[in-house]
Amino acid sequence: MKSVLKLDHIQKYYGNGGSLTQAIRDISFTVEEGEFLGIMGASGSGKTTLLNCISTIDAVSAGHIYLDQTDVTDLRPGHLARFRRENLGFIFQDFNLLDTLTLGENISLALTINRMPHDKIPSRVQQVASSLNIADILDKYPYQVSGGQKQRCACARALVSDPKLILADEPTGALDSHSAQMLLSTLQSINQKLGATILMVTHDPFSASYAGRILFLKDGEIFTEIHRGNSSRKAFFDKILSVLTTLGGGQTDVS
Amino acid sequence: MYLKLIIRNVRRSARDYLIYMVTMTVCAMLLYSFLSVTSRYYRPDMGAQYNLAVLGDGMKLAVGSISLLLLFLVRFVNNYMLRHRQKEFAIQTVLGMEQNTVAWLFFAETFVLGAVCVFAGILLGMFCSQFITAMLLAEYGLEYRLSFMLFPDTMLLTAAFFGISLAVTGLFNVRTIRRIRIIHMLHGGRRNDTALGRSRYMPFVTVLYGIMLVLMLASGLSAKHYYFDSRFPLPVHIMFQGNILAPLLSLAWLFAWLIRRKRWGFQRLVFVEMLFTLVNACFFASVPPICMRYQLSFGSSALGSDTGANQYLLFLLAALIYLVCGIIYLSGAFLCRWKDKNPAHTYSGQNLFFFGQIISRLTTTAHTMTLICLTLSASIFLFLAVPALTGWASGFLDQRSLYDVQISSAYSSVYEESDLLTGDLYIDSYGLVPDFLEQRGIAVSHDCAFSLYLPCRDEFYNRVKLDFPVAVIRLSDYNAIREMLGYEKIHLGENEFTTQWQSIATAKERDEFVKNHRSVSTDAGTLNLSQENPYYEDAVGETLYNRYTDVIYVFPDRICESLLSVMQCRYIRTIRPISYADALQLENDFRKLYPESPEDNIGMCYYIRTRTLQVNDTRASIFMTNAMMTYGGIVLMVICLTILSLQQLLDASQYRYRFGVLRKMGVEENDIDKLILKQLCVWFGLPVTVAIAVAAILAVYFFTTIQRQLAAYMGTEALLLRLLATFGVLTVLLACYFASTRALFKSAAGRG
Repeated sequence: MKSVLKLDHIQKYYGNGGSLTQAIRDISFTVEEGEFLGIMGASGSGKTTLLNCISTIDAVSAGHIYLDQTDVTDLRPGHLARFRRENLGFIFQDFNLLDTLTLGENISLALTINRMPHDKIPSRVQQVASSLNIADILDKYPYQVSGGQKQRCACARALVSDPKLILADEPTGALDSHSAQMLLSTLQSINQKLGATILMVTHDPFSASYAGRILFLKDGEIFTEIHRGNSSRKAFFDKILSVLTTLGGGQTDVS
Repeated sequence: MYLKLIIRNVRRSARDYLIYMVTMTVCAMLLYSFLSVTSRYYRPDMGAQYNLAVLGDGMKLAVGSISLLLLFLVRFVNNYMLRHRQKEFAIQTVLGMEQNTVAWLFFAETFVLGAVCVFAGILLGMFCSQFITAMLLAEYGLEYRLSFMLFPDTMLLTAAFFGISLAVTGLFNVRTIRRIRIIHMLHGGRRNDTALGRSRYMPFVTVLYGIMLVLMLASGLSAKHYYFDSRFPLPVHIMFQGNILAPLLSLAWLFAWLIRRKRWGFQRLVFVEMLFTLVNACFFASVPPICMRYQLSFGSSALGSDTGANQYLLFLLAALIYLVCGIIYLSGAFLCRWKDKNPAHTYSGQNLFFFGQIISRLTTTAHTMTLICLTLSASIFLFLAVPALTGWASGFLDQRSLYDVQISSAYSSVYEESDLLTGDLYIDSYGLVPDFLEQRGIAVSHDCAFSLYLPCRDEFYNRVKLDFPVAVIRLSDYNAIREMLGYEKIHLGENEFTTQWQSIATAKERDEFVKNHRSVSTDAGTLNLSQENPYYEDAVGETLYNRYTDVIYVFPDRICESLLSVMQCRYIRTIRPISYADALQLENDFRKLYPESPEDNIGMCYYIRTRTLQVNDTRASIFMTNAMMTYGGIVLMVICLTILSLQQLLDASQYRYRFGVLRKMGVEENDIDKLILKQLCVWFGLPVTVAIAVAAILAVYFFTTIQRQLAAYMGTEALLLRLLATFGVLTVLLACYFASTRALFKSAAGRG
């Protein structure tokens, strides 16, 4: 299978001189096309920093990140915005929808930014919205719909420009359990049916259990990695919990 | 600890509210500067013939009234601060601070912030007051000398005005904070503005306009009933009918909508009503030029500055206000429709985001935007009207204060010829005046006492305003006046006459009169108009002419001996100017003997005008008009621009978030900068454009009503030049606010 994303010994430091913080010590991994990868870890383990580096919002201190053979760490600042809009889709914890636009317009915005011909935009938006069951609320504003619907709209916006990689940062963080479950099923569905490659950062084991593979970070390094394989989601969830117990045990070991 | 908290908060607020602080400082500076003229300690060396005391109370009252407008700005900004800080107040309260303490801390913060501005304003005012002094002395034609003085009474007045304003607003805030429940404070920031659809202001404005339409219709019908004549030419017919039909159709549309309101919707009502309003406005605006063109009477007197004109000016204002409300109210809806119908443009670049930004703002702040538009219009109109009014007054003064003492009389309240002859008309040629001057040691260089006559005795009984008889002056008296003013003497042939014209008369009027008065029948025979010099236009003062006329005949002396003398005048020029106190005394003494209004309104009316008082009063009025209208214009304009600016800057956190989303989605910084520029251009451009259009319409209407005076006393070229200069200054002011808002907005919201 073709690899979409490759991280090669990346490191990230903050501060200078005496107050140096090492957010990422040394991380390397690869994400295959059509994969649903979860990244877990405790607070301060480097999850968000890692996501920021992959999404080019932050720059690495050392190492390389390749997205579809392009070394994003070599891109000049002027080209980063273009790279982001052409290759990445984002789903954020707090939805990041624009309250001045309807849900339909929020989704269209991703296409207009990508300069898609205007006559193709409505049909493309309708198509993606139908697949996410939000076609009937496209004319509503974000403040008129539920959190789950907002997040599905955010999914549609991430998906609509057909990006090489969808980055999801705690996508269920602001949702109730029912909405969270629906969203995760949606993510799983777009991964399986549409072949979208998803990289999801979460600290919630339930959310992570929808992924195909999970990387556990600890102190800026990969602690371990588990695959779901053919096991059931329940079995995978138990497996995640046991890894988390191990991960947490190391922190609370007082012996 | 509390002190530290206040100081920290003041520092932070100063950063966030920089434009507001600059505006407050400028306003305090202007208030101090304008008030400085009224200070007890303000005594520029102006000579005995000038007295600045006449400015004092009037200026204080006018400056104070205009400054009250600043309360709106202070209240607006305080409300905004309060709303944005509610969450912080809630947290402080939750932490255990008394709600009362939180309220007083906020009071102290806003008060300190305001006090800093006022202090800086007073310091700057010391410099700025020099300009005001220069402006004042220039008005009186005196030389300006730089002198820095701090006027304690003015300083106290300025500090007291702002202190009380800030304290009162602060106390309102304290009351508000003490009353809000913590849970509401915690969620205060989340509350949205009232959306356009739910706002009641436009239905309210429409109802008011409906009432106004009834008045307009009633006025049109009454004008037609009292003043219409079927012999009037076609344009007058159209004007009369239009002023009835247009309001009638507007009202009919309102009623039709009321019947089918569920089907047609409120936006359609406003849109169609706006179209009718436009037609209404055109008819209202056509009244002054048509009345002037066809010499119509349309109210209590001839139109020009009478109640008829004022009434139609009021109607025009009402129509314009409704148009502005409608434009702002519908602009959001119009943009939505345009966006839906033009997908190619909507889906191009970041236009979708841009439309969202503008539409959301327009729909939630239409009310504020309308008020800003109207206030800006008023401000621009004030700026445009100032040069016209001051130029007119100044030019008029130059033409009427030609003599140190002017005495004239009027026979309009004498109804019998016998009363005229046996009355007090010839009392010693106003001998009290030369005696007074001699007593005070004021030497006279020229003195001319003369009579004015009527060509025919019968004309004495003609009291029709539009056909009032033209008076006659003897050639020798006319030449004496000309000599006094430095003009060459004139000569008339046997049985010849000529005419002297007031500068307000137009060339067309003059030519028409000359054409129709080639000869004049008099009680002493018929005279022919001089072929060589049929008219003279040199300024000889305004008291020479009979009432309601702009012309006087000049007849040979022998002819006048047989004519009925109806008025007596005396013009005196002195070697040195009469002092202010003497002029006042002279006028008072004169009026005791020769009253301006006779008892029971029957008898001669006598008038005395001294150059000293004329110049002094007129210059003071011109300065006050100039200063107050300019100050009012500046205050209104800076309030509007500050609110426009703050509306953008204070929501920077919202914008930061929105632009942050765009950045994450891959929009480049260049495009975000362009978006910011476009957004600010629309935000400033829409109210400014609407305001310029409204002010221009009003200005054209205003200039049309006073076009004769402007042409006579100022000249179109001089007016245009001054208007251009005003426009330049306003453009610079707008550019300053725009540029600083853009810079602050970019730093607050532009960068992630």
